[in-house]
Amino acid sequence: MDGNSEQWVEERLAALQPNSDWKPDAARGLARFQQLRDKASHRTRRWGWLAAGAVAAALPLMAFPSTRAFAQRCVSACVDQSNWVRDVFVHNSRRSVNIKPGDRRMAPDFLLDDASGKPVRLSDFRGKVVLLNFWATWCAPCSLEIPWFIEFQNTHRDAGFATLGVSLDEDGWSAVKPYIEKRKVNYQVMIGNDDVAQEYGATSLPTTLIIDKSGRIAATHIGLCSKSEYEADIQAVLKLE
Amino acid sequence: MADEDRPDIETVFQAHYERIARVIARVLRDPSRAEELAVEVFLKWSRHPGAQGENAQAWLYRVAVRAGLDELRRETRRTRREGVTRFLRRSPTPEDIRASKEEQEKVRAVLAAIQPREAELLVLRSHGLSYDELAGALNLNPASIGTFLSRAEQTFRKEYIKRYGRE
Repeated sequence: MDGNSEQWVEERLAALQPNSDWKPDAARGLARFQQLRDKASHRTRRWGWLAAGAVAAALPLMAFPSTRAFAQRCVSACVDQSNWVRDVFVHNSRRSVNIKPGDRRMAPDFLLDDASGKPVRLSDFRGKVVLLNFWATWCAPCSLEIPWFIEFQNTHRDAGFATLGVSLDEDGWSAVKPYIEKRKVNYQVMIGNDDVAQEYGATSLPTTLIIDKSGRIAATHIGLCSKSEYEADIQAVLKLE
Repeated sequence: MADEDRPDIETVFQAHYERIARVIARVLRDPSRAEELAVEVFLKWSRHPGAQGENAQAWLYRVAVRAGLDELRRETRRTRREGVTRFLRRSPTPEDIRASKEEQEKVRAVLAAIQPREAELLVLRSHGLSYDELAGALNLNPASIGTFLSRAEQTFRKEYIKRYGRE
C-alpha cells in the first residue's frame, strides 16, 4: 500500500500546479521589493533623526538655569493638564480636598527629631500656616514636588508660613540626610513613624496637608498635585487670617 | 555599504523570485497575492544576515512555504467565518470560478488542516525539490527525509479520505 499511497498522494498534490498561463513577473517584483526596502530604510533613518533632534533640543534646555526652569514649568503644566483630565473623566477621583474654616479638625500633634537632632513639635508652629509633606527618598513624584516646597519656603517664610517634611524612609537618616543635603532642602525634615503616618492617613506618598494658623487641617492632597494648586491653597489660607 | 551589497541582493532576487513565487502560488488561489508574499519573503531575507550566502535558497524556500501555508490557513479560517454571513459576500468573479478547481481546493483544505511541518514537506516535494534540498530547506536530517515524507503522505491521505471519502 505504501508505494500506492505515495503515488496517490503525488497525484493529488499535482493539482497544486498553478495555472499554466500565469508567470511571476520578476521585474515588477523587484521594483516593489526595492520600493519597500527604501521605504523601510527611510523610516529607520527618520526615527534616528527625530531621536537625535529630541536629544539635541533637550541638552541646551537642561544646560542653563533659565531654560531648565522653563522645562520644569512645562512639566508642571503637564501635571496640571493630566490632573484636570483625571478630574473631568474619572468620577470621584479628586484627591485634593479643601476644607471650609468651620469644618476643619485639629491636626494631630507630633514630636519628631529633625536632622540635627532637635525635637520638632507641630503645635510649636501655631500662628503659622504649615505645609506638611509626607514623603520618601524612593518616591519619584515626591522628588518632583520638593523643589516647589523649597521655593514656597523661600517666598512665603516672612508671611508666616513654614514647610515641614516628614520622611517615611525605612532606612532613616542614612537615606534621608544625603538626599536633603544634595537637594539643599531649606526647611525642617523629620523622620516619621507608622503612628504619625496613620494619624494623618498618609497611606500613599506623597501626602501633603495645609495646616492653618490655629493648627487645623485646611487642605489635604494625596498623590502628585500641581504646583499651582499648592500655591493657591497656601495663598488662600494665608489670606484668611 | 547598502549600495555595495545591493547588486548581490538583486542577483539573488532575479535568480530565485520566480521559483519562490511559484511555491507560494501552489497553495494560494490568488497568484498576485502569491507574488506579494514572495516580495515580502525577499524583504525578510534581505534583513536577515544569517540567510545570506550559500544557504539563501534553502532559507527562501523555508520562509516562502511557511508564508504560503500561513496565508492559506488564514484564508481557510476567513472562509469558514464568512460561511455564517454568506449573504454578505460578493459574487464570485469569473477569475474565482476559473481558479477554484475543485481538486485543487480539496488538496489545499487538507494541507491547511494537517500539521504545518508535514504540509511544508509535501508542498516543497510537490514543487520538485530533491531529498537533499528538502533537508536543507526544512532543517531536517537528510537520512530521515524518506521517513518524514512517507509519514506526511499517510497523514495527508488519512485527512483527505476523512474529508472527501475514498475515490
